Amino acid sequence: MKTNQFTAALLLSLAWCATASAQTCATVEVDNVRPQQGHLMLAAYGSAEDFNKKPLVSLRLPAGEASKMRFELCGLSGDTVVLTMFQDLDSDGKMAKNLLGVPTEPWGGSGSPGVFGPSWDSGKVALDGSPITIRLSQ
Amino acid sequence: MSGVTTERRQLLMATLAGLAAGVPCASLAKPAAAADFAAAVASQPLLAPFKGVTDTSGNVDSGPLLLRGRWPQALRGRFYRNGPALMERGAERYHHWFDGDGMVQQFTLSGGQVSHRGRLVQTQKLRAEQRAGRFVMPALGTHIDGAPPASGPDAFNSANTSVIEHAGRVLALWEGGSAYALDRNDLSTQGPVTWRSDLQQVPFSAHPKVDAAGHLWNFGSFGQALVAWHIGPAGDLVRVQVGESPYPGGMVHDMAVTPRWLVLPLPPVKLAFDQASDGPRRFALQAGQPLRVLVMDKNDITRRRVFELPPQLVFHVGNAHETRDGNVMLSFVGAADASFLDQGAVALMSGLMPKTSRATLQTVQLDMASGRAQPQALAADVEFPRLHPQRVGIAARHLVCAAGGRGTGVLQAVQLVDTHSGRVRRFDYGPQVVAEEHIVVPKPDTTGELDAWLLGTSYDVRRRATVLSLFDAAHIEDGPLAQAVLPSMLPLGFHGNFTAG
Repeated sequence: MKTNQFTAALLLSLAWCATASAQTCATVEVDNVRPQQGHLMLAAYGSAEDFNKKPLVSLRLPAGEASKMRFELCGLSGDTVVLTMFQDLDSDGKMAKNLLGVPTEPWGGSGSPGVFGPSWDSGKVALDGSPITIRLSQ
Repeated sequence: MSGVTTERRQLLMATLAGLAAGVPCASLAKPAAAADFAAAVASQPLLAPFKGVTDTSGNVDSGPLLLRGRWPQALRGRFYRNGPALMERGAERYHHWFDGDGMVQQFTLSGGQVSHRGRLVQTQKLRAEQRAGRFVMPALGTHIDGAPPASGPDAFNSANTSVIEHAGRVLALWEGGSAYALDRNDLSTQGPVTWRSDLQQVPFSAHPKVDAAGHLWNFGSFGQALVAWHIGPAGDLVRVQVGESPYPGGMVHDMAVTPRWLVLPLPPVKLAFDQASDGPRRFALQAGQPLRVLVMDKNDITRRRVFELPPQLVFHVGNAHETRDGNVMLSFVGAADASFLDQGAVALMSGLMPKTSRATLQTVQLDMASGRAQPQALAADVEFPRLHPQRVGIAARHLVCAAGGRGTGVLQAVQLVDTHSGRVRRFDYGPQVVAEEHIVVPKPDTTGELDAWLLGTSYDVRRRATVLSLFDAAHIEDGPLAQAVLPSMLPLGFHGNFTAG
């Protein structure tokens, strides 16, 4: 019951946050969430040219009560997307970094983002109705 | 949002660049097969400890030890050692000695008695791999497929290089990330040390130097950045400074200190994550590049001088001190090539005897006015130089080293080198023993360099056991005063320190 309420809240949140007019949706599954710590910051990109520059949709979600979260993401378009995410533990709207500029908050991406950071090629996944999985770093 | 995301990407790429420089780096080789080591080591019994621990819970309590000779009543304290210990999971085995997860050994010496316990450091990496039941993160010489995103250097931190008790807590040290704090009473892992909130995961190297007043000096290397740490005697952060490396991306392993200077050898070796290989990764000295020695003012690391010496690989320094004319004398062990890093440490993990070391103990006078450097060779086929702990940063005449076994590819002796005369005094453990680092432990209420014991571990093939040995520093050639024989073998490790009390 609690999960359903949370999913509904997310859907409302996503509908409000969506910045693109297209209505393609995908199920997003996130692993390794640190429960109830800050927010998840997500961006979805539709092309290599726009990657890390101009997202199709972006949003900010409160971290849930469990280490796994699942929600519907709408506002997508095209055949291929890349999702990138970090968990904004302190809810300051930006990824924390140390004195040397090294990120210190969990991050992840669709596809196979690798150990050090996603790229368009490593992160792209087909927008074919299959769930998109993001595993946050630990 | 896109701005935030772009920034993150840039930061992550900075992480990549930094890890490629400051962390003992991951090769892209695949894991080796545990069965291959088992087959090879059968004919190389000296290398049996490279099997590593088989109990992944990480707890070793040795129980009563067999004591030989007379352990002095006055020798009281804790002798710690650290080194790679967990080498295999299932059928997979790391390629490189430096890859294994760290295990801290604690020998407690009290009233003529000796006890031992060992604990794997419960790092973030180890815990993730325990949960998974397999290797998850890449290491220095072993690529792991499907590694998850890394939240900074500590995702790879194996806390496997050295250990020191400082200000009441035990610090298990690695090269590229945080120190891990352990409880000195039971060696339980307390977690990574964050000296200040913006210093989370900033590299804190494995070779800090503690001066006679208890101030701890350390460095960290990350890409272009060099970090200088000053920790007070009470364990408080006094100051941290960030400067630029004159050899960005290069390996930096050890540092010497003097009252005024931080002295860092920068060998011409770069370690990159991004070169794929199906086998063990290759390391080589970069052609045309010298060994640099960076001398930085402790109070302002932007005030510095860079010296150039003949190309060589340097892991460890002995000591440094300032001369009356304002120059710096540095002792270090250097090898003319990177063959140990490239091949030797891989051979050991394959159950194969490496080639004889080419590492030589040297001293060099660094002329702070002219920038000239004059190296002089002292002793060949040695490693792990140590000195009297009250002489760190000031003139010291004697260095103790582990030494090669006259033709084998492993260390089998301990020797005392007189850096003034060049005289070497030595004790050979014999062909059935592998010697590890030996340290200098001052006798209570004394100050003389040789008013001390030497304390170190070795592996004895005949007993299939690790042995802790104690020497009188003034009579090293007489052999151990006392020994404590463990009931089994510990993995061969790297470095350690003693805390009296």
